[in-house]
Formats: sequence, C-alpha cells, structure tokens
Amino acid sequence: MLTLKKGASRALIYFLEIFVIVISVFPILWVIMSAFKTNGEILSDPLALPSSVSFDTFVHLFENYNFPQYFLNSLLAAGVSTVVSLLFYAMGGYVLAKYRFPGRTLLFTLFTVTLLVPAHSKTQPIFNLIMELGLYDNLWGVTLVYLSTGMAMSIFILRAGFMSIPKSLDEAAIVDGAGFMRIFWSINLPLAKSAISTAGILMFLSNWNEYYFASLLTMSDSQRTLPIALSYFTSEFSYNYTQLFAALAIVVLPGIILYVFAQEQVQVSMASTGIKG
Amino acid sequence: MKKKGIKPGRISKNHWERKNYKWIYLFLLPTIIIFLMFYMMPILQVFVTSFTQWDGFNEPVFNGLRNYKNLFTSSAFLISLKNLFLWALIAMFLHVGFGTLIAFVLYQRRRGWKVTRAVFMIPNVISAAAWAMIYRFFFNNNFGILNSIIRKFNPDFDVQWFYQSPWAFWAVTLTWLFYAVIVTLLVFGDLMSIPQELNEAAIIDGAGGWQLIRHIQLPLCRSAIATGVICSLTSRITMYEQISLTTAGGPGNDTMSLPILLVNAVTDYRYGYANAIGVLMFVIGLVMMGIINKAFRMNDSDY
Repeated sequence: MLTLKKGASRALIYFLEIFVIVISVFPILWVIMSAFKTNGEILSDPLALPSSVSFDTFVHLFENYNFPQYFLNSLLAAGVSTVVSLLFYAMGGYVLAKYRFPGRTLLFTLFTVTLLVPAHSKTQPIFNLIMELGLYDNLWGVTLVYLSTGMAMSIFILRAGFMSIPKSLDEAAIVDGAGFMRIFWSINLPLAKSAISTAGILMFLSNWNEYYFASLLTMSDSQRTLPIALSYFTSEFSYNYTQLFAALAIVVLPGIILYVFAQEQVQVSMASTGIKG
Repeated sequence: MKKKGIKPGRISKNHWERKNYKWIYLFLLPTIIIFLMFYMMPILQVFVTSFTQWDGFNEPVFNGLRNYKNLFTSSAFLISLKNLFLWALIAMFLHVGFGTLIAFVLYQRRRGWKVTRAVFMIPNVISAAAWAMIYRFFFNNNFGILNSIIRKFNPDFDVQWFYQSPWAFWAVTLTWLFYAVIVTLLVFGDLMSIPQELNEAAIIDGAGGWQLIRHIQLPLCRSAIATGVICSLTSRITMYEQISLTTAGGPGNDTMSLPILLVNAVTDYRYGYANAIGVLMFVIGLVMMGIINKAFRMNDSDY
C-alpha cells in the first residue's frame, strides 16, 4: 500500500515536471520549426517537421525589411537606458545605504513606494511629457521613459547590495585619505558587482521586451523596437506564415540566448523581484 | 552590537558625512529628478485631472465626479471590472496554486528538477508581445496546434478561439494561467530556507509526507505565497499585451481590460476620462494589496 502511494506520488511529480517543460518550450520550438516550413506545409499539417532546412526566410527578412534597424533600436533603447539608470540608481542606492543625512528615510520611502503605482495608470502624463519635450516618435523618448521604469526595484536591490559591504573598508580608505568619489568608484562599486548585475539584468530584460510605452510613443518605421515591429509585421503580412514565424523567432531568440548565458543570475534576480513587493 | 570604544571614530565619521553633504545630495540628484519627472508629477496630474474634462489642447475644465459617473455607467468599463474580478479569482486560486504546486514538486528534488526550473523561466524572459503573438498562432483555427490536435479526435471541431464568445475570455486566460514561475521561485526560496532540523523533528514525531507538507511546509511559505498573489494580481490589473495583440478587448467587450480602455481614451484625447481609469487602477491595486496583507497576516513572523 505504502509503495503504491509512493509510486503514485512519484509519477505525479514526473508528470508535472514534463507538463511544465512542454508548456514552456513547446510553443517556442513550434514557432522556430514553422519558420523553416513553407506556407503550404504550415497549413496542411501544423505538427509536421519541415521538409528541408534553409535560412532563406531569415536572410530575406534581414535584407528586405528593417530588421537590423529594429534590432539596433531595441539594443540602443534597452542598453542605454539600462547602463545610465544603473549608474544613477547605484549612486542613489549607495548614499542611501551608507550615509546618514536629513531626508534619508523620506527619500527611500518615496522611491520604493512607487512600486505600488501601476505604470499604465501614468500613461497620459507621460505621453504628454514626451510630447512637450519634442521626443514623440523618437527612440530617445522611449529610452528616457525606460530610465524610470526600474527605479523602485533597482534602488531596493542596489541599496541592499551596498549595505552588505563592510563599513570598515570605507573607514580604512578615509584614513588613507581617499575622497568621496574614490571610495564610491574604486571600493564600493566593484564589491557590489552581484547586486549591480541583478538589477542590470532585470532592467535590460524588461526594457528589451517592453511593448506598451514603445507602441504609444513611436509612429514611424525607423523608430520601432523589435516587439513593435513584430506587431506591425503580423498585421501587414498576415498571409505569409513562414515570414511571420521567422520574425517571431528573431524577436524571441535574443532574450532566450541572454537567459541561457546568465541563467543562475536571472533566476536569482527574478526571485528577488518579489521580495517584499 | 556596537562597541562603546569606537566613539571617537564615529564622531569623525559624522564630521566626514557633514563635509560631504554636497556629494551625497549630488549622488541623489538624478534619482530625485527621475522621481519628480516620471512619478511625482504624473501621479499628481492623474489625480487632479481625473476631475476635469480635458482634451489635451484646451485647458482642463473642472467637472467634479463626471468622469467617474460616466465610467460606472459605461458597459465596457463594467465588463472590464467583471473580467478583472474573475481573472483575479483565477489568478489567486489556479495560477498561484499551480505555481505553488510546482514549487513543491521541485522541492522533492527528483530527477529533472533543475531543468524544469530553468525552462519554466523561458516564457518570462521573452517579450509579452511576442508571447501573445505565439498564442495567437497557437489558437489559430486553420494552422494552430491546439485545434489540429483536437481535430485528430474530432475532425469537425471548428472554434475561432480569440474571436468567438465565450471562448475568447478563456483563450486570453490560458495565455498566462500556467506561467507562474515567479510564484514558484518565491515559494521555492522559502521552502529551501526551512531549517532541516524542523523537517527532521516532524518526521521523528511521526509526520508522513502529506502531513509534513500541510502542517509544516505550507504554513511556512505563507508570506511567499502572499507575495506571489500580490505579484499576480498586480499583473492582472495591468494586463495589456496579451489582450491588445490577440482580441483587442473583443468580441464585443468580452475581454476588455482597464489598460485597454485607458489607451483608447488617451488616443481619443479624453484625458480626464483616461486619468479617472488610472486613479481607479491605482486604488484597486491598493485595496487588493490591503486585503491580501490582512488575509495572510503578512506582518507576523514565522520563526
């Protein structure tokens, strides 16, 4: 009886593991597989393997459409905003972690309480702000908005990272005559590496994948990021399924590749997003 | 646990801090500017102009609670509230329940648990827009996988998942229902931090597998589960891509959500109305969070 129960629960465990793997990977594999099939093959049997493997569709997409441009746009918007905001929030998180000054608790509370405000609810003021700055339909407008999106979480993660660096190191450096900048730049910043990469990966992934504000703040083809381009592409070329699937694969793969390389770090990062959210 | 002996050092540290006030505030300046530009001002603007009629060109005109009254008499808004309520229930019980279940599966550390954990994350690292698109194809009537599998058993099966009532609501639900990796990671983290002695003591006291889970492990994951519920409710309030790129709120208003209504109002230059929706999103979020905190007694400590 006991072994039967044990066997059943073991079977359940394996069933659930397989279920999770299938629902997570299968849709993506199917997209990639379909990108190698012809229109006819896709329509006649969606589950069949492609009859031949050729990269023509991908080459075609890169040569005839602006995919290199979209790719570059995504990389610029997500990369620049991540690097700049990491620097800003590292500076903020550092002084909030290590110094006592008037307004410290108030500022920390204000910065982190923004986590409670859904970004979507600020749509109209942000739309107007970007209009007034003359940055509508401009990739830099989108980048500017991305600077702000990870604020609460990054300050939270980075402050905790700096707090775990022993103060005795700073004090030793003061005795040695190091200035404020030097203590930040050469002692604290290198030691906060793991917090910085956690915050950086989270911000980069969310900005790379961002759709809402990018769709709201851009119009023309030359300013589109990959997710936006994809949505236009699917409405314009809804008859050419091979190209649609290839475009989807192009949009999806970079994120997955980044994840494969930084797997542990991403998992730790993702788990920490929930912490006292 | 500060030692009394280092007092001179602390005085000089204070002095050093005071000397560096200009650096401290300079370091905070970029964050403060971003806070004012993208949080403080927009939030104030949303609250104030939600009581006005405003098209973005002319000055806003105060109209009291008109926008809110209009909202609560608009059928699209009421349906999106109903959807949010249903989705919140589904998220709380099925979505978080599934995520928690998988966390316990991983905790058994049977063969494959690491791969499962790693792979479960993939839908979360790719763009929600792309994921919505993938699902649009997945549910496609002509070449989608779901229908071609169903047709192997029932050749006459013919459902346009995203375009037919009442299927559209469930098709949108299925795009996120099982993707609960955040909940899984949160609960798994709490499970891993349960002291081993506690599990062992329970086993010595004669607790079987299910008793161990029910009376020891599950209660100790309470706050992780609560955090998971909050995360998942927050994403239900802000659900946009999964709807905008699949059904756009249709058929009729079957899958309408607050962000879709908000964007429609912004593109129609009904700014006051849009901001009233924004205020309600914020308030609904706060209320939900308050309820969850109460229900899970989040502030009590476990150990």
